Amino acid sequence: MGKLIGHAAMRIIPAVLVVVALGPIFWTVLGAFKELRDIVTPIPKLVFEPTIDNFVTILRNPTIRDGLLNSVVVVSATVLIGALLGIPAAHALARYARRWGDDIQFFVLSLRFMPPVAIAIPFIVIYLDLGIYDTLFGLVLVYLTTSVSTIIWLAVPAFESVPRDIEEAAAMEGCPPWEVFWRFSLPIAAPSLFGALVFTFVLVWNELLLALTLAAQNATLPVVAASITSLGKEVPWGVINAATVLLVLPPLVFIGLLMGLLNSMVRSGPK
Amino acid sequence: MANISCTDIVKAYGAHPVIDGLNLEIPDHQFVVFLGPSGCGKSTMLRMIAGLEDVTGGTIEISDEDVTTLPPGERDVAMVFQSYALYPHMSVADNITFGLRRQSVARDEIDRRLNHVAGLLGLEPFLDRKPKNLSGGQQQRVAMARAMIKTPKVFLFDEPLSNLDAKLREKLRTEIRKIHLSLKTTTIFVTHDQLEAMTIADSIVLMQSGRIEQIGTPDEIFERPASRFVADFIGTPAMNFLQAKISVDPEGLLATAGEIALRLSPEMFPSLKDGSDVELGLRPSRMDLCEPDATNALTGHVVLVENMGSEGQIITEMDGQEISFVTKEFRRLQPGQTVHFAIHPEHIHVFDPKTGKSLRSPDETL
Amino acid sequence: MTRKPFAALSLAPAIALLAMLAIVSVGGAIWLALMNRTLRSPDAEFVGAYNFLRLLRDRRFFNALEISVIWELFTVAGTILLAVTLAILIFETVKKPIWRNLLCFAFLVPVLLPRVAAAFIWRFLYSPSLGVINYLLGLVGIGPVEFLADPSLALVSVAVVDIWQWGLFFTVILLKLLETLPRDPIEAAMLDNARTWEIHAYVTLPMLKGPIISLVLVKAVESLRSFDLIFVMTGGGPGTATETLDLYAYQMGINMGGRISYASAMSILLLVVTTIAFTIIWKAGRRWAN
Repeated sequence: MGKLIGHAAMRIIPAVLVVVALGPIFWTVLGAFKELRDIVTPIPKLVFEPTIDNFVTILRNPTIRDGLLNSVVVVSATVLIGALLGIPAAHALARYARRWGDDIQFFVLSLRFMPPVAIAIPFIVIYLDLGIYDTLFGLVLVYLTTSVSTIIWLAVPAFESVPRDIEEAAAMEGCPPWEVFWRFSLPIAAPSLFGALVFTFVLVWNELLLALTLAAQNATLPVVAASITSLGKEVPWGVINAATVLLVLPPLVFIGLLMGLLNSMVRSGPK
Repeated sequence: MANISCTDIVKAYGAHPVIDGLNLEIPDHQFVVFLGPSGCGKSTMLRMIAGLEDVTGGTIEISDEDVTTLPPGERDVAMVFQSYALYPHMSVADNITFGLRRQSVARDEIDRRLNHVAGLLGLEPFLDRKPKNLSGGQQQRVAMARAMIKTPKVFLFDEPLSNLDAKLREKLRTEIRKIHLSLKTTTIFVTHDQLEAMTIADSIVLMQSGRIEQIGTPDEIFERPASRFVADFIGTPAMNFLQAKISVDPEGLLATAGEIALRLSPEMFPSLKDGSDVELGLRPSRMDLCEPDATNALTGHVVLVENMGSEGQIITEMDGQEISFVTKEFRRLQPGQTVHFAIHPEHIHVFDPKTGKSLRSPDETL
Repeated sequence: MTRKPFAALSLAPAIALLAMLAIVSVGGAIWLALMNRTLRSPDAEFVGAYNFLRLLRDRRFFNALEISVIWELFTVAGTILLAVTLAILIFETVKKPIWRNLLCFAFLVPVLLPRVAAAFIWRFLYSPSLGVINYLLGLVGIGPVEFLADPSLALVSVAVVDIWQWGLFFTVILLKLLETLPRDPIEAAMLDNARTWEIHAYVTLPMLKGPIISLVLVKAVESLRSFDLIFVMTGGGPGTATETLDLYAYQMGINMGGRISYASAMSILLLVVTTIAFTIIWKAGRRWAN
């Protein structure tokens, strides 16, 4: 009997855990396809007539469309520039910097300790004075703190796991350092580096505070979504749910990749 | 084809020198093995010759050209790494031909040379595969092919066989040796395996803590070890060592250690005086069973018999010391038995107990 | 180009940019904190330590400090405890690789959600009139509970969302780490007749001490970035029940009145406190891990 319960528990536990993890999201996705009268019911409805009105509403809304566009521009620029600057720096830190390497790495990591407000507030004033307040350029510049430091932080171990022998073998064939980096270290570390870029993408895509304070008019999607609450008197739950789904989709596309990154990080030994 | 000369080489990490004033001449066409325990500096020496490690002091010349500060790619040397260091994102063919393609050698010339080395090493069926889909031995061959296709002045091997199992190691050892016989490229081969060194080398450079202990042919190293360290490092089973005292009598030299008394050849050790303390080295493989009254007969109790197939190592105890010897007739011996075995005076090594140096006269020939 | 110039050239642009941004933001914050600048006018005077002295007499500031500390402790402890418990539970009860992978994927989803999205999802669930949670509580005769409007519940309710996101994520990491542990010590403990909980308490968790400390540190840093979640879920309310330091600084500096200098002084204090706290935790963690 005890064994039977044990067996049942083993079946039930994973199911319960999946519901805890995904249930809330599932419920929101359902809500995104409901009309308001199906949401505002005393008994939650699982069966209803689905509608895409909510998505039509948000995609027709120019503020949300602009937010989406701004997000795409800001995030791609941030990740791209972050990669161009951060990846070579990480390689240099992983391979060449012996004496200063640790100090530089600690400095990079310490940037991640900085409370975002502490960055936001002085930059408001500086941007106002420079006339780049409320511009995408200004937002990208501040986001580079996040992307460059995150990419360096994740890419250093990726380059460290490239066997040194291979770089030396390439050097023996006459490759100068930049060619060793470009033709060997980079392609060999590419899978982990890609994971690092995706992780950075998710971080920046999800960011609210800096966008809210530095580009309130040229808002990114999280800022726009966060402001929907106050539309009129009635809380437009269907629209909010649809906006949430829109916001959630891009990071979730990369879940498989992040899983791979996680696996390789755990296998190569925890930091 | 090239000779290599290293003059007054110093390598230091910070203030701590790991190699301090090393001199070495390697003649053209030679197959030289750097042998020694781990941490003796043999790999560091190889990597300095390759150009992968900066030289703190001294000069390295290849074909009488000073290459001390040249980058590795400009020294015209090729290296096979312990881990093979194959490029994981390239096919076998691309791995092998990368260096030639970089130098923009003509396509058909590359193909011709690729076919040649691939044929030599039996790699034709694998040319399109990625390195991770090859066995250890195949990866090893690809690494060798990559080095050979460039027809460099010097081949460098950094413990290339230590990741393989014993059988494959033996096979590839023979292949490397055969390739050297046909190409005659000057080769330096690093290993910590004395058997590998003995079987493959023209000349062995035996190193310890950043110094060269002895340079010589495998025979010289085995038969005339310059020091106790060399004698102990070379040969399986390992040499027996005994503290002894020399006495000079009408018949010549006698070394005694407790109840053990051994005749030495006075021609080999002219410097020995009455009453000097020495350390004797007896190779187990140079001793065998004998009659109780034979010259240099030792008598001991069998402690253990180790079967090695065609012969056996007998570990005996005499006068509180363990001494082992090797015999083909081990099957009739049992622990507890008393045995008599002897060593010819010419096969006894004598070392200075303080310096560890061999006391054998340098003038006397083998 | 040889090694040293190449390394310098690869490193310099990134480090220069980061150094510039760090100096500008910290230097700018210190400069502003010593002025009386507001968002409305660009004119400002040097006022010395005035803003810092005002802070020491600001009740709302100390309230925010207290809430920040509670938030930090509660979310870090909650996340780690949940992760350790769930990781061991799954490690022991779910043996099939398919199920495990499925669980890992499911557990990774919440942490990928933008904070804004997670906040909306849970506001929807928490809603007193149409939320699922209150419906379920109603079935057993409780409620409706005002999760986000009740000052005594609001902070905990928001923290639950944070723990839902990060606790499940850390569960995946810990589970993967458990899987990579060498089997030998666990099997040795089994041969010694150790019970399951004893194996984990005395063998596996001590072996994972280092990684767990790293996770605590990562989460502690992450918990400082609570702004997005709290801002959308409660906006710091009801009253100031969920107003952490970054929310208060935001309200002061941007939302109400734009008292930028005052907010800067606050963020400087926040910066100093976190730097000191993390240096201590970092060093202590290092020592404890070794």
